[in-house]
Amino acid sequence: MGFDKQIKLQAHLDGELSEKEAREVTRWLAQDQEAVLMQAELRNTRQAIKGAEGFMPLPESREFFWSKVKREIERQEPTSPVVEKGSWMTAWRRLLIPASAIAVLAIAVLISVGPIDFNRPGSVAEIETSYGDTGAFSYRDEAAQATLVWLSYPADNEVADSDAADTVQ
Amino acid sequence: MREKDYSSADDQSLVRDAQKGEMGAFEELVARHRDKIYARAFSMMRNEEEAVDLSQEAWVKGWQRLSQFQGESGFATWMTRIVINLCLDQLRKQKRHRTDSIDALDEESGGVERQLPPVVVNPTAGLERNEMRKRIDHALGQLSYEHRTVLILHEFEEMEYKQIAKTMGCSIGTVMSRLFYARRKMAVLLADLKKSGEDRIAE
Repeated sequence: MGFDKQIKLQAHLDGELSEKEAREVTRWLAQDQEAVLMQAELRNTRQAIKGAEGFMPLPESREFFWSKVKREIERQEPTSPVVEKGSWMTAWRRLLIPASAIAVLAIAVLISVGPIDFNRPGSVAEIETSYGDTGAFSYRDEAAQATLVWLSYPADNEVADSDAADTVQ
Repeated sequence: MREKDYSSADDQSLVRDAQKGEMGAFEELVARHRDKIYARAFSMMRNEEEAVDLSQEAWVKGWQRLSQFQGESGFATWMTRIVINLCLDQLRKQKRHRTDSIDALDEESGGVERQLPPVVVNPTAGLERNEMRKRIDHALGQLSYEHRTVLILHEFEEMEYKQIAKTMGCSIGTVMSRLFYARRKMAVLLADLKKSGEDRIAE
């Protein structure tokens, strides 16, 4: 009997053949005694193995085995693997990376754009007022032809109020 | 605060609690299924120490991947798949460090058993259950890991050819030939064991 035929006999036994192929195998079995014997051997072996899986207890106590599992879990990951839904810390961490990327991009654009003509109509008027603000700082890079402005908060009037409050106390 | 009693909860609710980070629920799942997971590791590895280590590793992986468990299969089945994959990885590593050319040849050709006529008598007929288990376990231990694994996945885990091929990373054709050779070897080994047992009784 050829190997292909043997493999088909086995697939027939395991229910892995199409209806057409199964009919073909049934025809062989009606005519070929060797095929009948081979299928009987395969069936006997399969049945013997199927029913032979025994009970195999773990040779360690529940407490000892769990202590090893737990220690290894904690060693690999000190915190719980399940992330709490809606945690503001998680949301903040998620935002931090894109926010940093946007900030870097904004600085790069600002540097590459070159000097800003504040006298040109439509330019940003607020920037001019910031020069008069004692809480504003500016930085001018001549080489890069760029100006950066930092506005400090709280605003001056709020600082003044806060100073007044301190004095009252 | 009183500790929660997990012993009366079913697997599904234990899994849900463990997915929320409750280690007590996971401990209960480990206690329930640790023997089954160990037994599968042992049947594949044939070594107690390795089986204990790999079943421990499987439970750690189970905890880490718990959020991926969707409940399509039972929890024990899901854990069994994890330990099977770990055992296969370990067996492949071991095979790379070995030079078993005869095994490799047998793996391809099916060994001498391929040429033998069918074993006519059922070699386990009339045996007590425990005796039959012992003989089969002994015979399984004599197979190459590829042949043993394909038998375990098909007969014990009841996987189809397609699933076995996916798990073992081979073609369906390879699964079919491995399964055929493995069964033939088992038939011959069991017949030999029966013969040697009968000889001992006759003496």
